[in-house]
Amino acid sequence: MKEPADIDLFKASQDALDRYLQSWVGENLNTTGTNHAPDPVNMPMIRHWVDAFDDRNPVYEDTASAKQHGWGARIAPPAMMQTWTMPRVILEGIGERGGASQELDPDIPLGVLDRVGFNGILATNSVLDFERPLVEGDVLQSDVVLESVSERKKTGLGLGYFLTWRQTYIDQDGASVGRQTFTVLKFDPSTIG
Amino acid sequence: MQQHFADTDRKPLNAGDIAVGDPLTPMDIDLTPTIVAATAIATRDFMPVHHDKDYALSQFAPDIFLNILSTNGFVSRFLTDWAGPRAWVKNINIRLGVPAVPHQTLRFTGEVLDKAEAGDKVEVTVSVIAANDSGNHASGSAILVLPRD
Repeated sequence: MKEPADIDLFKASQDALDRYLQSWVGENLNTTGTNHAPDPVNMPMIRHWVDAFDDRNPVYEDTASAKQHGWGARIAPPAMMQTWTMPRVILEGIGERGGASQELDPDIPLGVLDRVGFNGILATNSVLDFERPLVEGDVLQSDVVLESVSERKKTGLGLGYFLTWRQTYIDQDGASVGRQTFTVLKFDPSTIG
Repeated sequence: MQQHFADTDRKPLNAGDIAVGDPLTPMDIDLTPTIVAATAIATRDFMPVHHDKDYALSQFAPDIFLNILSTNGFVSRFLTDWAGPRAWVKNINIRLGVPAVPHQTLRFTGEVLDKAEAGDKVEVTVSVIAANDSGNHASGSAILVLPRD
């Protein structure tokens, strides 16, 4: 169990804030536990996706094409991996939550940085690895672990911290199907210049 | 009757068809608010900055803007529009830049950087840039796995 975040202390002491942030490295950022896909990989959501992206790769929709081109069955677009485990959304209050689909734990590093004044956010890097094609019926779950927090840096947007987390995806057999490594800058807009 | 939009006549590329230095077929997306909103919802991302302009302006954004899942979704489409239905997208590694906003064209370009044997397949590494009037929205690389020939 982690100590509750002491926001007043963190505002007064960069050292205390930095130690708190570093104490989260290696920890699961989803403090309510593993994220389970609300639905298995399914054709209605795939069809919705390919129509939104106008992606006409036939192996996503047409079984004969998928088999003709060496796939055992029609497959989901690889970039849908994250979509399968997106949490269900509570629309009420989403704007006040900064767009988060559900209430976040205010003591995770992102929440603490918001409360200390580093409330700006800018995504800087995304690395996606896909290990196998997903097919209808696959049921995914994901965990997200904080990989690193930089020291406080002076950036073009003000003082800030770069946070990198790694979201891992496993299937119904516990086998890894892919991961995303994601880096954001959390910055204090009042310190620009 | 199930409507079928799949392009079943699409020709596949094999690794033998591809040489280091080859350009990828460019892809232009004339972004509209509808595309930004539709792709965000298709990725199950309901953040208001991706569909509500008033909210986006209140957050100091110039307009609603493409979410990152959709950036990756369009990169995936760009790769397989070029490489065809036998290609497996194994990796997409991008650095994010300016936001992709409506009423501008988001142009995807790239070229083949490397080919490497991987068992009975070939891994093809390509560069990827998605740019609009303001600069690079995303830039980086991707790895496709293709049959040898």
